[in-house]
Amino acid sequence: MEENLTAATWFWLLVPMLLVVVLTLVSLVSHKLRGERS
Amino acid sequence: MNGELDLNIPLLATFVVYLILMILVGLFAYRFTKSLADYILGGRRLGSGTAALSAGASDMSGWLLLGLPGAVYASGMNQIWIAVGLAIGAYLNWQFIAGRLRRYTEMARDSITIPAYFENRFRDRTSALRVVSALVILLFFTFYTSAGLVAAGTLFEDTFGVDYTLALAVGASVILVYTLLGGFLAVSWTDFIQGILMFVALILVPVITVMNLGGWSETAGAVAELEPGALDAFYDVTLFSIISLMAWGLGYFGQPHVLTRFMAIRSPKDIPAARFIGISWMVFALFGAIFTGFAGIAFFEGTGTLDNPETVFLALIQALFNPWVAGCLLAAVLAAIMSTIDSQLLVSSSALSEDFYKRFLRPAAGDRELVWVGRGTVLGIGVFATLLALNPDAAVLDLVAYAWAGFGAAFGPVIILSVFWRGTTRNGALAGIVVGAVTVVVWDLLEGGLFDMYEILPGFILGTLAILVFSRIGGGPGEEIEREFDRVRARMD
Repeated sequence: MEENLTAATWFWLLVPMLLVVVLTLVSLVSHKLRGERS
Repeated sequence: MNGELDLNIPLLATFVVYLILMILVGLFAYRFTKSLADYILGGRRLGSGTAALSAGASDMSGWLLLGLPGAVYASGMNQIWIAVGLAIGAYLNWQFIAGRLRRYTEMARDSITIPAYFENRFRDRTSALRVVSALVILLFFTFYTSAGLVAAGTLFEDTFGVDYTLALAVGASVILVYTLLGGFLAVSWTDFIQGILMFVALILVPVITVMNLGGWSETAGAVAELEPGALDAFYDVTLFSIISLMAWGLGYFGQPHVLTRFMAIRSPKDIPAARFIGISWMVFALFGAIFTGFAGIAFFEGTGTLDNPETVFLALIQALFNPWVAGCLLAAVLAAIMSTIDSQLLVSSSALSEDFYKRFLRPAAGDRELVWVGRGTVLGIGVFATLLALNPDAAVLDLVAYAWAGFGAAFGPVIILSVFWRGTTRNGALAGIVVGAVTVVVWDLLEGGLFDMYEILPGFILGTLAILVFSRIGGGPGEEIEREFDRVRARMD
């Protein structure tokens, strides 16, 4: 069997940290859209 | 011997070019620095990218390139928790504090330092808040700066055989010259360049290392054979230690050198872009640091093969890259250390020039005089910190352990409640600062059981409770303060 990081390690390494990047991107896009509308 | 010489000439050349570039940035910023507000807050004209990267670079220090890869190299993936906690803490700070603090510091009598903000926000006529917070900053940052210089000098002595005193003298002189001349703008622009350099190095080193090992599967397979526990984030850790490591993220709310970047941003409208750039930079840099340490286990065939695990990043660069490229990548380590020292130096200087000299000695001093006082205090604190670093002892280095927790617990709860809770009073704020700071110091002195918890968590909780309790004792905050709070909140909605 091919060795790799455990599933839990991948989850805790990637999900919280990439989630905060996605949240900042969503907030940036919504800010730009609000700016265009007003 | 020849190999050493081959490496040292390109290394020396790239370091010299890098240091000259930093001084040129200082000279350029000098032209834009006319008032004390320019000198210690850049006249609130930082763009999104500069604010984001300079906040990240000044926050992270040598820990990102040396400490974190070293910890993962020595113990494996169970060291990721501190990175997860920091990423979440930094995000919450950018999301909930940055915009509010930017507006509030401007509306509260245009406060340009954290102590001035506390005094103006709570209309503290006794100046107790300003004096206590300025003293906390001055004490912690002078020694923190000194410890940073010790770390840089020791690193270059150990790794490259450069004389400790020479490395210290050259490094401190360059930092002093550009900080002294260009103030906040020079510090922010150099931190921006340093942030890019650190990012490139942290992406390049793990990618090239993994490619050199034959790919990800081969790297993970080699680590599994050598140190199977290194693949598991839960190996040999308890819930208690995970909470303790993640609590590092709470520190962000009280770090003056990070908060001043929020205060200096050109407009609150620039914050969403700055937040995205800053958090992306941080997350991918943390990934780079983690995978550098992880790939290092496979590359050096085990966790005990390097004398000092914290040199894993440096050792990989020396082993894998052309000496000229290695010189540029190694300059990133210097950049990481310098970008933190310069910011701490400037915040310490502002505590003396704005919070003591202008507030108590010469309230009527003109801009020209104040800028030169600012420069004088940078020089004075810088020389003092360098002299302390000439004779490094454990007492100086031990203070670093307090500094992150100390600022986080002393200032963090006050900053959060000052922008979110209308009922916060001057007495509550003062109690919060004192209780947060004292808890950190006392907790660190005690051992065993609950006292093994990282002291920021109890400090932060007790500091918050102290603000909530003392703000309810005596009269409320006062009509003027409440009106101002409502005006700031209305601007945020």
